[in-house]
Amino acid sequence: MEEKNDILKWLNRETSDEELTHLKETKDFKTLEKIAHYSAQIETPEVNVKKALTDLNLKTQNTAKKGKVMQFNFNQLYKYAAAIVVILTSSYFLLFNNDESFKTEFAQTKSFNLPDNSEVVLNANSEISYSKKGWKESRSLTLDGEAFFNVQKGKKFTVNTDIGAVTVLGTQFNVKERDNYFEVKTYEGLVSVAYKDTLIKLPRGAIFKVINGVVDFNNTFDVNEKSWLQKESNFKSTSLRFVLKEIENQFDYIVETKDIDLDVLYSGGFTHTDVNIALQSVTIPLQLSYKIDGKIITIFNYDR
Amino acid sequence: MPNTSLCDEVYFNKFYADHIQSASNFAYYKCSNKNTSLDLAQEAFIKIWENCIKIEVSKAKSYLFTVINNLFLNKVKHEKVVFEYAKSSPYLDTNNESPEYLLEEEEFKEKLKRAIESLTAGEREVFLMNRIDGKKYREIAEMLELSQKAIEKRMSSALKKLKTKIDGI
Repeated sequence: MEEKNDILKWLNRETSDEELTHLKETKDFKTLEKIAHYSAQIETPEVNVKKALTDLNLKTQNTAKKGKVMQFNFNQLYKYAAAIVVILTSSYFLLFNNDESFKTEFAQTKSFNLPDNSEVVLNANSEISYSKKGWKESRSLTLDGEAFFNVQKGKKFTVNTDIGAVTVLGTQFNVKERDNYFEVKTYEGLVSVAYKDTLIKLPRGAIFKVINGVVDFNNTFDVNEKSWLQKESNFKSTSLRFVLKEIENQFDYIVETKDIDLDVLYSGGFTHTDVNIALQSVTIPLQLSYKIDGKIITIFNYDR
Repeated sequence: MPNTSLCDEVYFNKFYADHIQSASNFAYYKCSNKNTSLDLAQEAFIKIWENCIKIEVSKAKSYLFTVINNLFLNKVKHEKVVFEYAKSSPYLDTNNESPEYLLEEEEFKEKLKRAIESLTAGEREVFLMNRIDGKKYREIAEMLELSQKAIEKRMSSALKKLKTKIDGI
């Protein structure tokens, strides 16, 4: 064992002269010496390094290099150009968008100030949008739904809706625009309402209503009763269908009806705080009944 | 700071020049075919050039020998290895020119050659890398990604086989 390691050491050129003389005395050493000597004489093909490297470079130029160099691709360029255009335009609209809009969901109200400090309270399921940039030139906004305005004195202030436009100089008023229902209430000052070709001046305490295209502006209301702003809705001789629509807006329920005359007129109000009390205050005077099942309210005639 | 990336052509060429001969020899110990051995070595260097980004400089040498080994296993049909001695190789005792001695030595060389050819590929490559390329066990271990102990084991089993073969014939 000892001897074997010595031989390995010797072949690895790690043996001292002293160890070598000792090793030379062992019996197999003559053979080992010959093995070591002659095995090293086995011929290996000598590589002409310069020539081999030239060959190699030729080969790599034909294969690898081609893969390494990225071809300049115009299609690629168009792709990036298109991406940049998309990014720039979308960021323009996102970052420099001059249109401000406020939106409320079902059973939600929101109050905010316009750039001129006019107050707006947005009722449930409504949306207001206006141009920030154009606000200085003309105080004009678009309303979809219902909102109360307390307008600062100044230039003309216009509320546009799909049904009609309301113009004021400085007052408090409420605009309600739902499907086929348009209503303006003046709380202070004088409001001019443009509906189709007619222009009506609406004094304090007056209501202007358009229901299914029928104009009605002879009704009055109590200016101290800012109904929905105090978390209730008030109606005066209004079709039941619009009252129920308002319940949907305020409570985020779906209202279904069974064998009911939706055109029956309702006068009264309902609170926004409790759906049961609200439904009772609508159904009892009309001799109706209701049922709540999950998110669905069913209203029916209890006589039958 | 010197550029020591295999992707750098100057560095790669130096790496090539340093190792092409031992790479070619290594391939030769495996296949004993003069044409194939250089091809295998060249192909291994091309692989290194192509993957120069991925290969660490410190690992390049062992990568080279691993690739040659794999290429050999994949491409070369296992044939019986046949070696030759260099033509002008001196005898062990250069002073002794008696015909008996020369004949004896030639006989020994012939036996040794056949014994080497009969070694396993693992034993043979280690033994010849040590004998012909003069590589130390530690270097061989690094190249083949094996432990030095494993190299020594192969070496001593090669020696044992050679000795018994020569004595036995």
